[in-house]
Amino acid sequence: MNGNMADFADDHLVKLAKQGDVDAFTELVRRFEEKIYHTILSLTRNQQDAYDLAQETFMHAYKSLRNFKQRSTFYTWIYRIAVNLTLNFLKKRKKDEKREVQLGDYSLDVKSATSTLSPEGYSMKKELSEKLKEAIDSLPLAYKVSFVLVVSQGLTHTQAANVLRCSENTISWRMHKARKMLQQKLRPYLEGE
Amino acid sequence: MRHKKIEKWLSDNIDGELPEKKKKILETHLRKCSSCSSYAENIQRIHKEAKSLEKLEVSPIHWEEFTSRIKTEISSAQQERLLGAPLFLRWKWAWAGATLLFVIIVGLFLYLTKNKTPQQVYVFSFENSLAKIYQEIGSDQELEELFNSVILGSIGETLEDSEWGERPDFYENLILWENLTEEEMRFLESEIKKDNKL
Repeated sequence: MNGNMADFADDHLVKLAKQGDVDAFTELVRRFEEKIYHTILSLTRNQQDAYDLAQETFMHAYKSLRNFKQRSTFYTWIYRIAVNLTLNFLKKRKKDEKREVQLGDYSLDVKSATSTLSPEGYSMKKELSEKLKEAIDSLPLAYKVSFVLVVSQGLTHTQAANVLRCSENTISWRMHKARKMLQQKLRPYLEGE
Repeated sequence: MRHKKIEKWLSDNIDGELPEKKKKILETHLRKCSSCSSYAENIQRIHKEAKSLEKLEVSPIHWEEFTSRIKTEISSAQQERLLGAPLFLRWKWAWAGATLLFVIIVGLFLYLTKNKTPQQVYVFSFENSLAKIYQEIGSDQELEELFNSVILGSIGETLEDSEWGERPDFYENLILWENLTEEEMRFLESEIKKDNKL
């Protein structure tokens, strides 16, 4: 059964799933679970949250399948659900935690870190990766999501625009601003090498 | 201003979204401008680092478990759908009907009881007026006798009215006969003869 399902195109699987074929929907889950999970993980940076949100995404998709008019691809649609659920989750988490790390504090933190660094003491690359994660996390949500979708997930501007329901120009602008912000935050590490 | 534009183009170029025409202008500019060139290096590096940020390798077993969990969730969702709404929701129409019926009954009851408020029945009584008359009459014997005769006379008239035709003394009423004309007498005679088949 699964062998047959694997041969079908997404659209056909969606049609079958709409008719109540659980195997068809399971095949769609198999095709996108990893991508969806990693997208959510890039945004939440928490494995358990990513797992739960990915599951919620697919369940939400299954329940809303009747309303899916197939004007966009299933891939775009499921990404949109995942991103929306994750954004809501992040907004709620942000409210709950009242994050301590803010933009201004972060640059101070970076300076103090560089001043105490010993050139032989640590791997600059490792440091950059860690700081990059923090810097991405500190981006405004809209910029962060666009950056994750385009850079981490490899979506084109058009695809990202479809997922986020905005224009390609908006994505292009957000990418430019996100890069500029990241570059400003990470300059000490980038110049250090 | 020009540098800002170049920075935006650099971003688009990294994402592979810059048209070929602009790419050539960009390359020319970068050869001349060291600050833009440095910016280009930085954002290129950020892009590479972000792409290579550790992606957790998730084992296939994990995905199998994930898929089967989704499948289980779907099955239970389907069962819920088949069973329909929860019991209390399935009875919602019955509840709605019962409530409506209750409202109608209460409304009807209120309507009827409102219109059924006891009407004030006016009973005319002579008692008070008669008592006053009796008081005044009681002091004068002549007046009392006159009053009694009038009352008795009116009672008699009432009796005469109700028993007209049955009274045998009708024929004996001389006043009646004396006042009749000859013609009326002949008519009466003929009628009496007819009645008695004479």
